[in-house]
Amino acid sequence: MAVSTIIVADRVTKIFAEGRRDEVAALQDLSLEVNEGEFICLVGGSGCGKTTFLNLVAGFLSPTDGVIYLRGRRIAGIEPRAGMIFQSYALLPWKTVFGNVEFGPKMKRLPKAERRAIAERFIRMVGLTGFEHFYPGQLSGGMQQRVTLARLLAADPEVFLMDEPFAALDAMTRQVMQEELIRIHEQSRKTTIFVTHNIDEALILADRIIVMSARPGRVKTSIQNDLPRPRHVDMQLSPRYLELKTQIWGHVEEEVRRHIEATPRDPGER
Amino acid sequence: MASTGERPRTGRARARLGETWRSFALGTLSVIVLLSVWQAVTAGGYISPIFLPSPLQVFRQARRYVTDGSLFWHVMSSGRRVLIGFVLAAIVAIPLGIVLGTSRVAKALFDPILSIIRPLPSLSWIPLTILWFGIDEGQKYAIVFMGTFASALLYVMESTRRVDPLLIKAAQNLGATRVDVLREVILPGSLPGIISGLKVCLALSWTCVLSAEMVAATQGLGALIWFAKDWNNMALVMVGMVSISVTVLMIDTAFRAIEDRILPWERHQRRRD
Ligand SMILES: Nc1ncnc2c1ncn2[C@@H]1O[C@H](COP(=O)(O)OP(=O)(O)OP(=O)(O)O)[C@@H](O)[C@H]1O
Ligand SMILES: [Mg+2]
Repeated sequence: MAVSTIIVADRVTKIFAEGRRDEVAALQDLSLEVNEGEFICLVGGSGCGKTTFLNLVAGFLSPTDGVIYLRGRRIAGIEPRAGMIFQSYALLPWKTVFGNVEFGPKMKRLPKAERRAIAERFIRMVGLTGFEHFYPGQLSGGMQQRVTLARLLAADPEVFLMDEPFAALDAMTRQVMQEELIRIHEQSRKTTIFVTHNIDEALILADRIIVMSARPGRVKTSIQNDLPRPRHVDMQLSPRYLELKTQIWGHVEEEVRRHIEATPRDPGER
Repeated sequence: MASTGERPRTGRARARLGETWRSFALGTLSVIVLLSVWQAVTAGGYISPIFLPSPLQVFRQARRYVTDGSLFWHVMSSGRRVLIGFVLAAIVAIPLGIVLGTSRVAKALFDPILSIIRPLPSLSWIPLTILWFGIDEGQKYAIVFMGTFASALLYVMESTRRVDPLLIKAAQNLGATRVDVLREVILPGSLPGIISGLKVCLALSWTCVLSAEMVAATQGLGALIWFAKDWNNMALVMVGMVSISVTVLMIDTAFRAIEDRILPWERHQRRRD
């Protein structure tokens, strides 16, 4: 096989508040391999540990058990090689669009001229030219999410991690952003793990879709998304699309039901 | 029914300007009314000038002290004491507060000391500081320092601790080191809180300096008020009081202008809502 794996998660377990009465097993023996350049979508019910998994890959959390490797190197501590996009943007409010996008290159101690060139390039790529000197507080949600995308691209990590980046956007903006992300991925071929609740979104973006089981999370099934690229919204009418969607929905529904039955009075998370 | 949200931008800006003018006019009006009533009851003999001098008497006193330059001199001596004491307190409190806000060990070490010093009013420091520094300028600085330091430290600590941890994570994820996080996230993130805390402390330093000047000083607004009281010159006492208000007001305005300068993103946030 010519493809090389870039991320290996080997029987990863994450238990919060271990040994306490409010102990939660978020992930249990999750194993997953991600290939170089692959676009992976993680889908699964609320609370099944998707965010937890991304936080483990980014090194914000450390596993209770098991190991995650990134290009053969074990992840221990915060990992700038795995760049994260947070659902709530996490832009620095005191920096302008330019300052935020320039942040990654600045932390790499690149010379000023080079930083500027990089920032300008990615600001243009996400269509925010002219807004360089705006503060995040002056932008709409969709524009702010585009800044986070430009910031990630400028920082140029080896892996992109995206935690429901478009969940807060309206349907139209979301679609534009999805198409932008597809275009960017086709250009950069950057390995991406993208978390979403939305099966349509997963089908339009992913090379492979991972359905996670209800808590404690593990990989329930992995489905190769063979819809032809370049992809477009039209394909939502194709028979293959509907077939895949039904298949994925079947898996997700089963887990969601199991979860609801297992915890009848779950105090809905986040 | 036309909703206000549909009004064109220029109309809204004009409406806001009109509002500013209206509140300014109302403010002026209330001051004029207050002065007129005050003048009427004192000049009409309803209240003896021993208890309350008339605005005209106060004005005459003020004019005398302004023209011979002594009022300015008193204001400047108090102002200098406030400034030096306050700046000293800020210089120590800002870095120390950031360390205490970011390090649990340092906080555990300092917390007990801080909780002992903090409740002490600045007046209670007068005997000790006189013993240590005499009654000259050093003692005034020390009073201001002791009276504001603990509060300033607390404000800095709190604002440092309240910086959104998600922003710190995001910065580290983009490759920021500990020092980078401090400079690029914690400092700017806590700055608005630090500045509003320092504003409170600046007002506090005026209280400290005035009480210190009333106890032991020959110059400064506190001393002026206290002498005037001894001379039974209530008009002069009121000149001193008004001078305090005006000076603090001017400093506050200056502070706000600086604030807008160094916190431009806050201004935008404010403009949004
Ligand atoms: N810091 C934490 N401390 C304790 N429990 C946590 C913590 N973070 C997450 N959990 C628990 O771990 C489980 C998985 O959470 P996680 O946020 O990974 O779910 P998710 O799949 O991202 O859900 P959603 O789709 O709603 O975002 C949840 O039950 C949650 O309550
Ligand atoms: Mg989540």
